[in-house]
Amino acid sequence: MRLRNLVRIAAGFLILVSTGATTGCATVKPYQKAWLNDFNMRLGKTDIEKFDESVHTYREGASGGGNGKASGGCGCN
Amino acid sequence: MLVAALHATGQKSHTAAYNADSLYKKQTISRTQIQLLFAYYTQDGDHSAITGGVGTEWLHVYSPEFTITHQPDSNRALSLNGGIDIITSASMNMISLMRSSASRVSDRFYLSPGYSYRLPKTHTRLGANTGFSLESTYLSFPAGLSVTHTSPSGSREISASLQCYFDDLRFGRFTDTYPLTLVYPIELRDTSWFSFYRRYSYNLDLSFYQVINSKLQFALFPEAVLQKGLLSTPYHRVYFDDGHTERVENLPTERWKFPLGAQLNYFAGRRVIIRSYYRYYHDNWGIIAHTFQLEVPVKITPTLTLSPYVRFHTQTAAWYFHPYKQSNTRDKFYTSNYELSALNTYKTGLSARYAPQNALSHHYFFDALTLRYSYYKRSDGLYAHILSLLLELEHVCPSRTFVSPGTKRR
Repeated sequence: MRLRNLVRIAAGFLILVSTGATTGCATVKPYQKAWLNDFNMRLGKTDIEKFDESVHTYREGASGGGNGKASGGCGCN
Repeated sequence: MLVAALHATGQKSHTAAYNADSLYKKQTISRTQIQLLFAYYTQDGDHSAITGGVGTEWLHVYSPEFTITHQPDSNRALSLNGGIDIITSASMNMISLMRSSASRVSDRFYLSPGYSYRLPKTHTRLGANTGFSLESTYLSFPAGLSVTHTSPSGSREISASLQCYFDDLRFGRFTDTYPLTLVYPIELRDTSWFSFYRRYSYNLDLSFYQVINSKLQFALFPEAVLQKGLLSTPYHRVYFDDGHTERVENLPTERWKFPLGAQLNYFAGRRVIIRSYYRYYHDNWGIIAHTFQLEVPVKITPTLTLSPYVRFHTQTAAWYFHPYKQSNTRDKFYTSNYELSALNTYKTGLSARYAPQNALSHHYFFDALTLRYSYYKRSDGLYAHILSLLLELEHVCPSRTFVSPGTKRR
């Protein structure tokens, strides 16, 4: 059952990525990047979220893996 | 040939005259970015793992941090990140080798230098980082390598990063009174529960960025994590269902994690941006998790942006988790740490970012000030407030001397 769920989600991601990569991508000229270059359009976590990410790492067993302070602290409570 | 020679001579003299007369001077710009982050965190709950899944989780953390990134030219970048966490906790008193008061203060120091270099005439950047993190019950040495490749058009980026952490969980670095040792709950110190004290973590983070059109971009973040060694926390208690047995938490010595994140950012209209994030997580301890986050930055003015957001996280329990007095003495592995329980968490908050990008003086610029508040709630009753303040400054040298104090840079 778990494996089936994993396969379904992986398949969903692959469909999403392949759809985006093959059909949706347009060539964007440098002068058309005004919106893309906006600070809030940046991909990945923003710097202000850094501490929030460390909280997730300590309070949720499913976090970790390079985001925030994934290691180097016990997060005692 | 004569014409060609005269033409070439003319060109040379013209270039010489241009160089002599022109105000244009090619210079390398050196940039130094300074980020100061102040965070405050407070939580309370009633399922502390230190007291076996019952008891207060009251905790305060003050966390000032700085990051300095110096780019002497467009190819090289040096960075230094460091900070301190000042932690006041009710249950940490139950860790100490010497009970002192109802609450106890602990500190964590960390420092991490890094260097990255863009290979000449390519769009590939290599990086390395190291450092340390020191706490009374924890010493960690991180080391990492990264490579990033951007397509010539800038519409696609692929990066890979390997981060390794070498941790030591012994107590006693800040005192001469006690030997360096694993610290167990005070009533269980007659037994040496673990013969090893090191933890190794290897995180392979990949990322794939793709511009889809002029208002939409997408990213994938596949990760793989391997942890080995002492993954139990030696001062976490477990009480068993026979009513009298008490032991130290015991977890397997190996853990694999497979998170996979996806992000889609869309510039909707002229003032509104939609930042959406989903993360799937699977590990070999039985946890499957889903995380969703939606953030909608709204540009109130060209310099002020307000960003409300919500986050939802749900996870199944690890096979080894049992609440207080529900673990079985026949089990090989057991814990009452609620971070490994089946839970939902909800978080909501607001960020305000003010980015005037004003010149403070001849070479110094005030880039941005961001304030963020978050309220966090876990389905087992734990709740928290998080407040972060980020100040961003920049030093640019030697060009841009045309910018006078008080004028807008862009």
